[in-house]
Amino acid sequence: MNAETSDAPPTSLVDRTVVPGDTVLDLTAMANQTIKLGAGLRQDCDTISVMKAGKLRLSKPNKYWVESSHKRYVPCVEDTVLGIVVDCKPDNFLVDIKAPTLAFLPVLAFEGGTRRNIPKFEIGTLLYVRVVKANNSMNPELSCMDETGKAAEFGQLKDGYMFETSTGLSRMLLSSPTCPVLEALGKKLSYEIAVGLNGRVWVNASSPSTVILVSNAIMNSESLSGLQQKIMVEKLMQRLQ
Amino acid sequence: MGAMTVDRADGRSANQLRPLACSRNILHRAHGSARWSQGDTIVLAAVYGPKAGTKKGENPEKASIEVIWKPKTGQIGKLEKEYEMILKRTLQSICLMTIHPNTTTSIIVQVFGDDGALLPCAINASCAALVDAGIPLRHLAVAICCGLTEGGSVILDPTKAEEQKIQAFAYLAFPNSPLSVLPSVPSAEDDGPIENGIITSVTHGVMPVVDYFNCLERGRAACAKISEFHRRSLESQVPGDLTKAT
Repeated sequence: MNAETSDAPPTSLVDRTVVPGDTVLDLTAMANQTIKLGAGLRQDCDTISVMKAGKLRLSKPNKYWVESSHKRYVPCVEDTVLGIVVDCKPDNFLVDIKAPTLAFLPVLAFEGGTRRNIPKFEIGTLLYVRVVKANNSMNPELSCMDETGKAAEFGQLKDGYMFETSTGLSRMLLSSPTCPVLEALGKKLSYEIAVGLNGRVWVNASSPSTVILVSNAIMNSESLSGLQQKIMVEKLMQRLQ
Repeated sequence: MGAMTVDRADGRSANQLRPLACSRNILHRAHGSARWSQGDTIVLAAVYGPKAGTKKGENPEKASIEVIWKPKTGQIGKLEKEYEMILKRTLQSICLMTIHPNTTTSIIVQVFGDDGALLPCAINASCAALVDAGIPLRHLAVAICCGLTEGGSVILDPTKAEEQKIQAFAYLAFPNSPLSVLPSVPSAEDDGPIENGIITSVTHGVMPVVDYFNCLERGRAACAKISEFHRRSLESQVPGDLTKAT
């Protein structure tokens, strides 16, 4: 029925748009290779099939994943996210990270954390945290320390302004080389930014007008190309003067 | 099969579908949404979730799906309840329920216009909305309505007026035609085993067995086209914001 499937099977679907149900890898043909699967792929007997629509990506030599943009976040170990404290329990803070379930932040997961110096977070506090445990059947677990036990940049984000975006946009903001919109803004303005992979972005600057400008520029950049982003930022700058 | 010329009020041929349109991510607050239209039958589907917890009586080791049907006007009746149920079962079979255990995903279906083939349109809309929300799916579902006229010929995607005149009709939902790197699967049989599957079949009226199989065959051919449309609309919309990142 479908010319593409029945006539000649495509040799590789890498960098192409895939939809759920597509078969992207045949494991029988690659018996002695180790491959790593990321978001949106699953093993189905001897094949790897797709379960989310997006672009299939390959990071050489062996990492495959489907790149897509959503409004919900699926926790993954070592992601850095922005969370909001929703409840304080004796052992854990309950933190909303836009995942299906609330995440636990143990009260001792801070640099030099002991029973005596438990931080006091009010409900609604915004935190920059790292995901340390993530699986389907348990609530994700967070930490305010890096691998070496240092506080690094993690912890409470005071003042500033937080807005929600899609996971695709936040990934774009974190990509290297620096995303054009952030680079163009950084040439003229000084601001602080924290981007969580869960689609939350926090911006702080000395004046509220800068915060508003930076946040608007970021929110507008979602569907623009690199060059368009630069033009858009320049236009915003002109309006500021 | 000789009499293939059927007069249809809107001048379509028997196998011709009404124009399809699909737009995704149109609701700001929903996690996924899609508007699907086939001619004047228009359905808006919104997906919320996965949310924590399942309802009482549902298996907490699996994800649970909840469908809420909103008719264009008035209260929800018996027919709508039936649609809700069929839609729920259809979506349950395409979703991978074990990925997010103990969560609930709600699908809210709002009917904008009903000009026949409402349930297939709702299935297509909900499926597009699930894709938009990033819910893990086994494959997509594509649905079609096949009608059997008094003369015994099969027409596809009937309008409301045609639906009332015809002797019987069947709502059929099939898996989409997947892309595959496997060389053996498509060549082993004429079309891969997944395309021979059927997800949902709802019939109404009296229909001889031969005609039912005829409907299946025509429906499957039409669904291959719809699934191609689905893929194209995903290609143009999903990765638009990500391509420039590289």
